[in-house]
Amino acid sequence: MYYQLINFGNEEFYAYPNKSLYWKRLNTLIVSDLHIGKSISYAKNKQFLPPYDTKEILNKIFVSLDKIKPSNLIIVGDLLHDVFSTLSFKDQDHKSLSQYMKNTDFIWIKGNHDKNIHIEGFKNFKNYKIDKFLFTHIPIETSLFQICGHYHPKVKISHRGKTIFKTTFVHNGKIFILPSFGILTGGLDINSKQISNVLGKKNLSIYPVGQDKVYKL
Amino acid sequence: MNINKSNLLLLHPLNKWMKKKKWSWFPHQIETFWHVQSGSDVVVFAPTGAGKTLTGFINPIDDLIKLKKFKGLHTLYISPLKSLANDIVRNLEKPIKELDLNISFQVRTGDTTPYKKQKQKQKPPNILITTPESLALLNSYENAKEFFHNLKYIIIDEIHTFLDNKRADLLSLNIERLQTFSPNLQRIGLSATLKNKQDAKKWLCRKKPKIVSYENSVLPKIKILESKERIPWSGHMATYSINEIYKEIMKSKLTIIFVNTRAQAEYMFKNLWLINKKKLKIAVHHGSLEKNLRLKVENNLSKGLVDCVVATSSLELGLDYGDVEKIIQVGAPKGINRLLQRVGRSNHNLNTPSKAILVPTNRFEFIEAKAAIEEIKKNNLDKIDLKEGSFDVVAQHIFATACAGQFNINDLYKEIIKAYPYKKLKLNDFKQLINLIQDGGYVLKNYDQFKRIFQLRENKNIYKLVNKRETRKYRMNVGTIIENPMLKIKLGTKTLGNIEEVFIQNLSQGDSFIFAGQVLEFQSMKNNLVQVKRSKSLISKIPSYSGGRMPLSTNLANSVRALLAKSNMWDLYPEQITEWLKRQKNISKIPKKNEYLVEQFPRKKNFYTVIYTFAGWHANQTLGFLLLRGFKEFNYKPLGFVANDYAIVLWSLKEVKEIKTILNLGLLDKHLDNYLEETSIVKRLFRDNAIISCLIERRLPGMEKTGKQVLFSSDLIYTVLKKNEPNHILLKSSYEDAKKNMIDYDRLREILKKIDKKIILKKLTCISPLAVPIILEINKENLSKKETDEYILEDLENEILKEANVLSIN
Repeated sequence: MYYQLINFGNEEFYAYPNKSLYWKRLNTLIVSDLHIGKSISYAKNKQFLPPYDTKEILNKIFVSLDKIKPSNLIIVGDLLHDVFSTLSFKDQDHKSLSQYMKNTDFIWIKGNHDKNIHIEGFKNFKNYKIDKFLFTHIPIETSLFQICGHYHPKVKISHRGKTIFKTTFVHNGKIFILPSFGILTGGLDINSKQISNVLGKKNLSIYPVGQDKVYKL
Repeated sequence: MNINKSNLLLLHPLNKWMKKKKWSWFPHQIETFWHVQSGSDVVVFAPTGAGKTLTGFINPIDDLIKLKKFKGLHTLYISPLKSLANDIVRNLEKPIKELDLNISFQVRTGDTTPYKKQKQKQKPPNILITTPESLALLNSYENAKEFFHNLKYIIIDEIHTFLDNKRADLLSLNIERLQTFSPNLQRIGLSATLKNKQDAKKWLCRKKPKIVSYENSVLPKIKILESKERIPWSGHMATYSINEIYKEIMKSKLTIIFVNTRAQAEYMFKNLWLINKKKLKIAVHHGSLEKNLRLKVENNLSKGLVDCVVATSSLELGLDYGDVEKIIQVGAPKGINRLLQRVGRSNHNLNTPSKAILVPTNRFEFIEAKAAIEEIKKNNLDKIDLKEGSFDVVAQHIFATACAGQFNINDLYKEIIKAYPYKKLKLNDFKQLINLIQDGGYVLKNYDQFKRIFQLRENKNIYKLVNKRETRKYRMNVGTIIENPMLKIKLGTKTLGNIEEVFIQNLSQGDSFIFAGQVLEFQSMKNNLVQVKRSKSLISKIPSYSGGRMPLSTNLANSVRALLAKSNMWDLYPEQITEWLKRQKNISKIPKKNEYLVEQFPRKKNFYTVIYTFAGWHANQTLGFLLLRGFKEFNYKPLGFVANDYAIVLWSLKEVKEIKTILNLGLLDKHLDNYLEETSIVKRLFRDNAIISCLIERRLPGMEKTGKQVLFSSDLIYTVLKKNEPNHILLKSSYEDAKKNMIDYDRLREILKKIDKKIILKKLTCISPLAVPIILEINKENLSKKETDEYILEDLENEILKEANVLSIN
């Protein structure tokens, strides 16, 4: 699989076009903001999005697990969209999950969307520390390097008279924000207040996600 | 029927008023009265100034007086524009007040206050003047049946604007609903002159259908601007003629300059001001301007307080501006009907001819203008193609029906297929649309507990809305007009109007552009407001509004071809045009009326193929893409193409040898799906479909969700659906819409069916005179959105790598 090498906190990470991040030294795969079951949550309000997000996101995860066979899978928050989300899990989905859990440790860091939800087999954490890295949904005050999600970053690129928006990996040397791994999730401009309050505006490393490639700006 | 009808209206309640005004009844008014009285549904065709509005009201007023103190709603009048509805009220008021008739009438549009609307529902007037959207809303109320059950007449004004679009579909469904409520309802349509009158009749009439027609014998006087300047090869801005246009404005009391796009309007307006030494009062009018600014211009126009207004189609319909002396059409007329409609805005008097001047902005447009004038002399109008109704409108109608109360799906289906656009609607498609409203209509059933409408247990054919809250959602989403995401422009605290978000995204702080006739400087964008200040800069980007690209009508295209081939006419043209055509004849060929000229020549290392189809922009754009694919298959290494109304040019690395093998019907069948896939045409139409069918909610003023986000999320839905459920009814609906509206499928098919025997191939050593205009239009790569995105990213990355003096590691 094509990847973009990203240096962060003196470690090497691989950014994949499927919006996952891989830490090779520790054989750990990292994803964020899957928002599984967003469609069901919208259906409550009679907005009937296609009900295929759960199936597709799980498949995307499973394909990655098959290829990389990581020891750990860290989900940095918002695995589920809300309490109704598990309604969209089929029996087969639960079976597959427990199958994969035999070889991979699932580390579920809770996000604002899935704080109080429990799924069998998942280990829940508020945040998770490895060496000098802290995995957390929303960044906190700390001297550690942080890897987080929550913001669904996108970047606006204006070039030769054209403007495009692209989902992106982004960090400022101290804080790394993953793009959303979900399929019905929108995004937020990295220049927006919410993100620049966290990352600042200067010295950002930006890695937009293309069709089969992650770029570096 | 040969009876003497001339005395019929002598006893009419309005006759006294007519006499006082020294007016007499028009023959078509008498005839309409007769037919309607005999129980017919009627379509009346008459030019402006021939008392069309009054024609519609003759029977209702007569009936109301005879019935004496009729209580409740008697007549419904549907107008395509809110402003027109207000105008109708003013016109109706005069005779009713002067004669002191006991008839009540009111207007109901989106602008009517909630208080007034509530009162109207409690105590309806005899005559209600409204729009298709307001009618749809009225039909969604629980008491709709009682409200309409005594309705005697429905009058559809400007019915020719209602025949070929989704608004027409919505209206047709609601007319059938009224007919169910009030079986005796009679329909009266009022239209400008049309070529296919029978089609309009079929669309509207059910009971003893009749056509009444009144042709104007006074032809308009239209000429082409005689310019001493050189008409440019290419372009659309008419800069060359600006001084001569200004002189024409000075000669007349009041002039309207019509242009084809909003960008042209802004450009023309600005350039006129630059040379406005006589301080003429010149104004601009287009659909993006703030309502108050527009109303101000309209007011000044009707009071004769301006000398000239530059306008787009926004001034085509509607109000009677009696004092307009002259129309100037800048740019190609595109169609006969459109030109006549515009020309008709001057001199609203039947016996004096309208006056108009055409200003072609390039050489092909000169031929087009000439051809249009010829066709108008022959009274050869464009046909309006009736189309099959769109699915998304039916979905919205189902939702509306559910809002009004529980309903039987079999009854609803029977009612819908009475509407002309839905004659062929299949029961299976209808059921899928029911499911769409119920829970999205997906094969995977995840939403059983969240349904919007549900079947009654005791009768599976009866559906009911799950709760009242949903009616509010329907009412927020009613209608078929979906605007592009627009942002408000603020100069200080003053709102100037709306501009497309896409345009603003391409601006940086300090960039200038023209809007509402002023050069403005972009400052910031906050909370969906675009803050600007006045700029002193003369260099400006011009708003590139996406709307307004009208393709050349088939009728006019045929006439252009015929005219081009008539070489005995050439000497009557300006010398530069004659010279241009003569040289074309010597170097290459002028195609005959039924021929398709194909020219091929080398130029700057590339190989060029130019095909003159005269098929209009939509069809040519589609054909260009298909040929690109065809060329790829034959390994000619095509690099790109550009299309305009008249021709397509493709350029490739290798010589294209088998053009006759490639250019035929097979090309369309083989590559069309790919085309729709790779361009974002279907995706864009899917957004409209998702909103109209109420699958996703429309952006409303004050809502946090910006239009862009709606666009974004509908793109996501499209992608997921495409992958998991390619047969979903909304995808089908979007494809159908694309075929109908965006790619001119039928027109292209017609051409390709017979093209192979009519190709005239000319191998040249260099570019031909006829090809120059389109070659000049080559300025952008025509890559699909997907490819463009990747290209931009890659290019940017490479540039940065170069800058940093690092070579790519791969």
